[in-house]
Amino acid sequence: MSTLNEWQDYLPDYLDGLKVTLRLTGVSLAGGLPLGLLLALAMTARRRTVRWPAILLVEIGRGAPALVVLYFVYYGLPQLDLTWSSFVCAAIALGFTTAAYTADIFRAGINSIPVGHREACQALGLSHGQELRLVVLPQAIRVVIPPLIGFCILLYQGTSLAFAVSVPELLSRAYSQASITYQFTSTLVLAGLVYAAISLSAVALMRARWPGRTASVTDVEPPGEGLARTTEVTHAP
Amino acid sequence: MTPESKPLLTLDGVCVAYRHQEVVHDVSLDVAAGEVVALIGPSGAGKSSLLRAINFLEPPSKGRILLEGVEVGGSRRTLDALRRDVGMVFQSFNLFPHLTALQNVMLAPEHTLGLPREQARERAMRQLTHVGLAERADAKPGKCSGGQQQRIAIARALAMEPKVMLFDEPTSALDPELGAEVLATMRTLAGEGMTMVVVTHEMHFAEDVADRVVFMADGHVVEENSAGKLMRDPQHPRTQRFLNAVRGR
Ligand SMILES: Nc1ncnc2c1ncn2[C@@H]1O[C@H](COP(=O)(O)OP(=O)(O)OP(=O)(O)O)[C@@H](O)[C@H]1O
Ligand SMILES: [Mg+2]
Repeated sequence: MSTLNEWQDYLPDYLDGLKVTLRLTGVSLAGGLPLGLLLALAMTARRRTVRWPAILLVEIGRGAPALVVLYFVYYGLPQLDLTWSSFVCAAIALGFTTAAYTADIFRAGINSIPVGHREACQALGLSHGQELRLVVLPQAIRVVIPPLIGFCILLYQGTSLAFAVSVPELLSRAYSQASITYQFTSTLVLAGLVYAAISLSAVALMRARWPGRTASVTDVEPPGEGLARTTEVTHAP
Repeated sequence: MTPESKPLLTLDGVCVAYRHQEVVHDVSLDVAAGEVVALIGPSGAGKSSLLRAINFLEPPSKGRILLEGVEVGGSRRTLDALRRDVGMVFQSFNLFPHLTALQNVMLAPEHTLGLPREQARERAMRQLTHVGLAERADAKPGKCSGGQQQRIAIARALAMEPKVMLFDEPTSALDPELGAEVLATMRTLAGEGMTMVVVTHEMHFAEDVADRVVFMADGHVVEENSAGKLMRDPQHPRTQRFLNAVRGR
């Protein structure tokens, strides 16, 4: 049997797995992104009692490997009488990791807004909430979209960790095929191709929309031209 | 200022400190309604710090700010009133780049004052017309010249219909030609009776437009007088030295 024929047999099962993978990605993002934004707002808050817990949570989320978080939720929490399905556990763990990473992206985006804009808001009598909603976030969102997309792609690939708690996602489908046929190379290559097809199309879409931007998770670029035109001038006395 | 008129704005023993380092020491000043006060002095004198203390962007470390005799700062309510009644124009404009000129100007009337959107828009349009930029209403700030941006920023502050306008070196980020159009706008405002406190390095503006000039150095008010007197016949050697240096360049 040629590899292509094998692949044809595997594909329907893989596509079912892909659906689970995409659903897990979606649910993790749906929970993690809003939480990440909240954490970012807390990290940039003026009050220390708000700032420190958020920073701690984010550092834990970024510091601990996602697999460790996943095992903690799956094996650790049941000892506290909290038991969920493997899918829910994976979504919670990946959602937490998402929140921690994107909090840092959001925070960098918020901090990229010139202080002068915030002072202008205060001078105009806008409340702190209005300042965020009307001036800071609309500008920050443009800055953070490319790194956020970069993170989404990493997360999509990272959902393969859920294999470890037997969520029937894409990688686990490949693995069970392989355990039947012992064709590890061809099954894993096909799984890789399915992952890549989605990731690469996402990158291509992003490149088309934001030319010249990288989808790096760590780089938050400063606002583009026209966004921040502050001029510093020094005077001769 | 006539002796019986109550000052609109009073600074009473105002100090400003950054991390316990005091940079403005015990400044007292009365500004009458309709008066234009120019604040001049060398770099680092504390002019910006003092101006920012007036609207609590940098709350005074000591002393009191009174607006129409009411002390500011005790409560949220007096602070809100202060921000409504005191407009500020910055050296670097600080326009919101994601909004059009019109949206920049109508933001505070709509959200701070809670005016209905249509009314806020009308008011904003009136102010843009006032500074001669009605035709730039739908332009983003990034597409406007520096002079236009600063005039939009002036319109944005005016849209709150403030009682006092503070200017912190509004022209020093601009080349002279564009600065001139901003100065012309400010001159018009002064002519209309707006109360203004202006930090400036434009000695001509101080001399021609201001009623009173306050010279600051090292965080102190060194000398203050009517514009004509201070500019032509400064009493304090520090003032003389500063004016000679500025004019000699
Ligand atoms: N945010 C700050 N933190 C710490 N020190 C500051 C801060 N802002 C100003 N200073 C210091 O306070 C002093 C007064 O500064 P300020 O900006 O008020 O002077 P200025 O008269 O406006 O000068 P310039 O003409 O250069 O604008 C300076 O020594 C400055 O270094
Ligand atoms: Mg200054």
